[in-house]
Amino acid sequence: MTPDSALIAIPGCLMAAFDDPPAAPRAERESRALEAFLRGIERRALRMAELSTGQREDALDLVQDAMLGFVRHYGDRDGGEWQPLFWRVLDSRLNDWHRRQRVRGRWWFRPARNEDDEDPIAAVPDAREPGPLARLADAEATLALDGALRALPIRQRQAFLLRVWEGLDVADTATAMRCSEGSVKTHLFRALANLRDALEVHR
Amino acid sequence: MNAPHDDDARWVDRATALLDASADNLDAATLSRLNRARQAALAARRGRWRPWTVGAGLAGAAAAMLAIAIGLHGRIDAPSSQAAAPLDATDIDVLSSDDDTLDLSENLDFYAWLESQPVDAHGG
Repeated sequence: MTPDSALIAIPGCLMAAFDDPPAAPRAERESRALEAFLRGIERRALRMAELSTGQREDALDLVQDAMLGFVRHYGDRDGGEWQPLFWRVLDSRLNDWHRRQRVRGRWWFRPARNEDDEDPIAAVPDAREPGPLARLADAEATLALDGALRALPIRQRQAFLLRVWEGLDVADTATAMRCSEGSVKTHLFRALANLRDALEVHR
Repeated sequence: MNAPHDDDARWVDRATALLDASADNLDAATLSRLNRARQAALAARRGRWRPWTVGAGLAGAAAAMLAIAIGLHGRIDAPSSQAAAPLDATDIDVLSSDDDTLDLSENLDFYAWLESQPVDAHGG
């Protein structure tokens, strides 16, 4: 670049700087993008929370809390990073919820549940009753599937829902669940095996 | 525990479709709650302080304090600034006069001796 062309280029740069959209519209754009993201993910988030808690009210509270936490901590991140980060926040809230439930169970002298030590299949008494999943009406099949999913240990359920339903890859699922990729594969392997066994008669 | 089967894809697809349908068919009251939760989260974002706005505010406050301090300093020093008026050519000539400074330095011994003499010895 010759000195003359540099002199010409400098005002051009300055003009480009002034051409940038002002901060307020940019913030508005970011806010709209964030709203679209949350709108697109909130229903699945609610269902995931509902499968974990078994209650819609608690699930709604957890999703609201997850939205607030996500926006506060990760709202400024690039949009491409949002998906696993949102699930990470929700997963954390779900784990906290289960921890509180265990503490409450101890307080009331109920035996604390350690889901990883239990046989999840034993907790699904009704899922086998309606008949093969493929031949069930959607409502019945959904009930059977919900029962089987609720019976899974939380880590297996999260691995299945995030990896299979939400479609995250192994790395993003590991980010969301705060564990190694190897753990994701193990949890998913066990989840698939348990669900297959639970839904075997419905296939 | 059985190993994963090759035909898992069929029931997994069915399960995924059922989950999708359950998410799509939420009732209006639940959707309204979700909408309110989303709006609350976005409102919290709009209302919060961002780091760069805090930094800009602090910089502005610091600049204002500096301007006030400079203004006060100027008022306090105003009389002395009059005394420190610009030197004119005569002053510069006097200060830069090599003759005077040489005379003073050469006669320092004489002035010291004179100071040590009794008053009568001054002839006064």
